[in-house]
Amino acid sequence: MQDDQPAANGMNMSDILQLPLEQRDDIIIYEGVHKWFGNFCVLRDVNVRIKRGEVVVVFGPSGSGKSTFLRTINRLEQHQRGRIVVDGIEMTNDIRHLDAIRRETGMVFQQFNLFPHMTALSNITLAPMRVRHMPRREAEEAAMQLLERVGIPEQAMKYPAELSGGQQQRVAIARALAMQPQIMLFDEPTSALDPEMIKEVLDVMRELAATGMTMVCVTHEMGFAREVADRMALFDEGMLLETGTPEQIFNNPQEERTKTFLDQIL
Amino acid sequence: MSTTTTERFGPAPPPPPAFTVGWQGWPRMNLFNSWSSGILTIVLGVALFLAALGGVRWLIFSSDWAVITDRVPLYIVGTYPREYYWRPEIALLLVSGLMGMAWRTWGGPARGFAAAFGALVFVVALIPYQMDVLYRALLLAVPAAMAGGYYCAHFIPEQGRAKWFGITGAGVLIVSLLVIAGFSLPGVGSPAGLHPVTESEVGGLMLNLLLAAFGIIASLPIGIALALGRRSRLPVLKFACVAFIETIRGVPLITLLFMSRHILPLTFPENIDVSLLYLSGITITIFSSAYMAENVRGGMAAVSPQQSQAAQALGLKQWQTTLFVTLPQGLRNIIPAIVGQFISLFKDTSLVFIIGMLDLVEIGRAGLSGKIEYSDNGMEVYLFLALVFWVFTFSMAYVSRRIERTLGVGRR
Repeated sequence: MQDDQPAANGMNMSDILQLPLEQRDDIIIYEGVHKWFGNFCVLRDVNVRIKRGEVVVVFGPSGSGKSTFLRTINRLEQHQRGRIVVDGIEMTNDIRHLDAIRRETGMVFQQFNLFPHMTALSNITLAPMRVRHMPRREAEEAAMQLLERVGIPEQAMKYPAELSGGQQQRVAIARALAMQPQIMLFDEPTSALDPEMIKEVLDVMRELAATGMTMVCVTHEMGFAREVADRMALFDEGMLLETGTPEQIFNNPQEERTKTFLDQIL
Repeated sequence: MSTTTTERFGPAPPPPPAFTVGWQGWPRMNLFNSWSSGILTIVLGVALFLAALGGVRWLIFSSDWAVITDRVPLYIVGTYPREYYWRPEIALLLVSGLMGMAWRTWGGPARGFAAAFGALVFVVALIPYQMDVLYRALLLAVPAAMAGGYYCAHFIPEQGRAKWFGITGAGVLIVSLLVIAGFSLPGVGSPAGLHPVTESEVGGLMLNLLLAAFGIIASLPIGIALALGRRSRLPVLKFACVAFIETIRGVPLITLLFMSRHILPLTFPENIDVSLLYLSGITITIFSSAYMAENVRGGMAAVSPQQSQAAQALGLKQWQTTLFVTLPQGLRNIIPAIVGQFISLFKDTSLVFIIGMLDLVEIGRAGLSGKIEYSDNGMEVYLFLALVFWVFTFSMAYVSRRIERTLGVGRR
């Protein structure tokens, strides 16, 4: 590849080589990130680096800023101070950077947010066909493979309203994966599900983690965190209070707040 | 699904109270479930019976339908010159052909609608009263054209049928309008063989249907564009759309029609004479699209903002998010409102009498005041007009309900 040709992530090869060495490993970099909703400071000086292939579970009380943190990674929310770099792409107002970052990230929502007027299959093929300009047949084949991966190929022609919550969330995961993202963002993916459906979604996430996907999950499924997470991050009052391996967080939390929160939910 | 158990535990459940089921169940629960509702049922029943009795007696003993049967062509095409009847006939056959195609490709509501229309025309063509054989032949061609369309539907490409129908339908409408009006477009004039007709010669039901069809097909896309403009983040575009919508909605249609006749032509260059037919069609479209824009805006506002977030997270651009995700859902939310708008637009077309055009209602009024022997037949004329309008509006409402059901309105 020539130096001035854009790489897949929208950067020139030379740009990537100029990055400090550790940024080539760190797929998400937050430096002094702040965000306000009006006068309310919802993110306060967030500094974090997430490595390629790392699975990070973000948790904390409601209103602590964890969802907002997640949504700044693909800029569904805009940060107002500090620096965010996703896969070497600086988050700026430049629309090309934004498009590139959205191509790198897939997102799964608490309320699934499937498109109700489309079948499961069309939900999955829409973005590959319209954004990546993939031919219909190719997109549908890829979508069927993804549906098989999440275990519901027989539901391809059904509409979201005809699926259970767990099935909808698995279609939503397949839809996000169809864009072949580098990073998957999960925003409380099991909070809206009945208990018997939580497991089927967590199983899919577990398999995804095993493939080496970089994952940032806002969730309170502590069993999942203990088993799958490489790192856990506690948010409180807009601050990233403590990060550590599940081992450290569960057995030896450094912060008093972490201890009280874990006591509340465990 | 868990397996259903057929074993029964304990004794069988008691039967429901006797007065809630069987032949006496429904009236007991719905008509006579309390003293007051029982009295209301009896009073209304007697009133309805008396009204029906009077109606039937009038129908049998004193009604005289000559005012309708003597003037059938007038009601249908107004004073359109008889030697040019083949021109509206072309339009009628094109539409019938299209209906036949829709029958085959879509079935469902399209089939019901086309079948009802074909049967109606067929029956009218064979009614035993003095009618010119020419008219009977012109009407009988409609089912034939439908069959032809049904056959031709075979050749419609499988992919993108909706788009194909949209384009062909709009094309058929424009051709119909031009052929019936004999073009008479400013700067083009009329091609050889198509003698222009004057605007008062295009009348009757044909005029109402032309204006309504034109208004319906044109006001939906314009209304959508205005609604999207109103939701836009660009202040100038937004302001222009708001100003347009609120201005048009603030003015009665009659005023707009007057303006189209008396004020609009002042802004045209000299020697350019636009047919009133076109002017009124454009005016009705503009009027309707302002209301349509507000309907669409309401439907779009009901779509959860999370839908567009999900689309953006997938990397869809703003316009793609609107086109593929939010607009289809917004439109689906407002199918009943859209059809209501179309129905009122169809009825509003009878207002063009105000600028001197002879629509169906005006033809009826002219018959009553024009000949002394018809002057007592107002009842017959207005009943007939009401029936004609009702048949068309009811069919629209029927198709709307079927579309709602197939698209699953209310299902998220």
